[in-house]
Amino acid sequence: MSLVTIQAKDGASVEFIKKDPKQGGVKDVYFSPDRSYVVAFYRKELDFGSKERLERLVGNYRVGIFSKQGAEYWKNLFRWPERIVEYEKKTGIVVPVYQPNFFFPENTTLAGAEKEGKWFTSAKNFNRFVPEGEKGNLLSYLRICINLSRAVRRLHAAGLAHSDLSYKNCLVDPKTGDACIIDIDGLVVPNLFAPDVLGTPDFMAPEVVTTMKLDPKDPNRKYPCRETDQHALAILIYQYLFHRHPLRGSKVYSDDTEIQESLEMGEKALFIEHPTDTSNRYKIQKNDKDFLPWIDTGKLPYKIMGPYLKELFEQAFIKGLHTPSERPSADDWEAGLIKTADLVQPCLNKDCVKKWYVFDNSTKPVCPYCGTKFKGQLPVFDLYSSHDGKNFRADNHRLMIYNNQYLYLWHVFRNVFPNEKLPDSQKKPVAYFSFHKNQWIMINQTLDSLVDLTNNKPIPKGSAVPLTNGLKLQLSQEQFGRVVNVSLVKA
Amino acid sequence: MRKLPVYILIDTSGSMRGEPIEAVKAGLNSLFKSLIRDPHALDSIYISILTFDREAKILLPLSELNNNLVLPEIPPLESSPTNLGEALQLMCQLYSKEVKKSSLEAKGDWLPVAVIMTDGSPSDTMLFEQMCETLKSNAYPFSRIIGCAAGPKAKTEPLKKFATDVVFLETMDSNSFSQFWQWVSQSFSRLSQNTSREVDELPPPPEEIKLVL
Repeated sequence: MSLVTIQAKDGASVEFIKKDPKQGGVKDVYFSPDRSYVVAFYRKELDFGSKERLERLVGNYRVGIFSKQGAEYWKNLFRWPERIVEYEKKTGIVVPVYQPNFFFPENTTLAGAEKEGKWFTSAKNFNRFVPEGEKGNLLSYLRICINLSRAVRRLHAAGLAHSDLSYKNCLVDPKTGDACIIDIDGLVVPNLFAPDVLGTPDFMAPEVVTTMKLDPKDPNRKYPCRETDQHALAILIYQYLFHRHPLRGSKVYSDDTEIQESLEMGEKALFIEHPTDTSNRYKIQKNDKDFLPWIDTGKLPYKIMGPYLKELFEQAFIKGLHTPSERPSADDWEAGLIKTADLVQPCLNKDCVKKWYVFDNSTKPVCPYCGTKFKGQLPVFDLYSSHDGKNFRADNHRLMIYNNQYLYLWHVFRNVFPNEKLPDSQKKPVAYFSFHKNQWIMINQTLDSLVDLTNNKPIPKGSAVPLTNGLKLQLSQEQFGRVVNVSLVKA
Repeated sequence: MRKLPVYILIDTSGSMRGEPIEAVKAGLNSLFKSLIRDPHALDSIYISILTFDREAKILLPLSELNNNLVLPEIPPLESSPTNLGEALQLMCQLYSKEVKKSSLEAKGDWLPVAVIMTDGSPSDTMLFEQMCETLKSNAYPFSRIIGCAAGPKAKTEPLKKFATDVVFLETMDSNSFSQFWQWVSQSFSRLSQNTSREVDELPPPPEEIKLVL
């Protein structure tokens, strides 16, 4: 074992074990003795621009993100390079290691392997190779997608683009819903630092694939940027939620594999679930049983994820597929995913592979994954808010109620959002729901001015209000406080 | 879904006897172990192993990569010629049967990968030359043919005639073999990510392996 101690550019002492490096695309990675960080050396000498970019990454950009609001929060979502080192004429970066839950645990068949995206985006891997306890459920995948959208939103807000969002660069843990973006050193700053990779094939935007054969200096050639990140993010989200790729259907453009690849991902890219052009639908083949039901778009179409995501998928893969400016932003995804999380209900089948599903807005809800019908009463809250305190308008936000579910401040107030800026004091539940003595009730925990508008009756803290069809509740009388309309679906 | 066929051709002629073939066996095992932990490989790779000495044989018919797959034993080696030409011919015959070609009606499989490990020159020179022409003609398109010249006396010239990448291991011990397999498995992994050529860069070979082409 050969321990090397060097001094980083910022003066800190850095140690690593010079043995068996893990080889990435452009770097050799060595662990520190306590395995709390890694030192990754670029195999090729970096040009001036790349060094300058690294300086800013560990300098301004890092400080910008990690010294402001939500600093602690971002530490979990990014593995950000912290220091620059030089050793034997090679440039390296010091990066913290991943949280242990991004590796499969010891008692599983995949012990120690990284939980990279491909384990969960491929239907076959998900069905056959991911250990049972590691598969997660619909809620945890929603959480993964929210985390990724949030991280990308933060990068974009800082004027940066990741440039290579892909399976390997996004670690996920479906058990907890955690996600983390790694390999941040390739960040792109428009007009300042050009990308050094074109991206990973399944995720490259059509305009990048279409123009990659052009001369690098050709002004028509397209490179990774914020809009291409938006494409890659949409692909990741679709893959985590459906375990299939949105553009890899059965349409043939050429009998030459390479031309086919560049057309189906580039110039001719077509959503496999395009509502009117059905030519790229995936045709299920005889040897596909390991991939079912996920690749069956007839059984599990994109619209099972509810109205908010349906619209975003259409924006990403129909309207915006070849029109980068139309693509949903990371912010749009975050908001849509958060609202979708309010539409889920538990599947009554305890063996259901997804455990939860998005309410299909019908009077006869059925779990799309296992076919189990919902039985019983299902309360639905439609949220309304007001800009003048008098007229309340629909927020296009619906909350499905299930047993032991909670109501939070972001449901109560129009101006509160569940994100990294929310102080801990506002993360606590304010009311909960229960099916009690054959009736749905909401129990007020901390709301000061909850009023039953239908019966004109205040509901003090610690007391309950029965949920009946047509009931109107004012959740708070303070500014930005919402009104809800209750519907009871009987199935 | 499309599969990625991988053909591994192993020289089992007399000169491989002893440490060389043991190293190949150990290498195959470690290759296999790393592939069944790689989600890109598990998603699409099918493996076939051929051996060649006096004749070319199928040791493992094209099989889906998964954790139940058992690698067959390589039988003891005898003094024999190195019929590499015959092995390439057998591989092409299997290719015709096993690899679904792309057509204008339906997508085919991903272009296969071949790995050829040998320490010497082919004995069946005529057939060998003929097969090199066939492979070059693109009648059996491969995404990559990795030729590995193993052992201190190995020649790379024959391999250069048909392989897209040629590597040789300067010294033949288990350690250099295991590094070679590690490199090969990373190459597969990249291929099964469907990397298109322009951005396709193999990880550089570890120490002791030199990329000749």
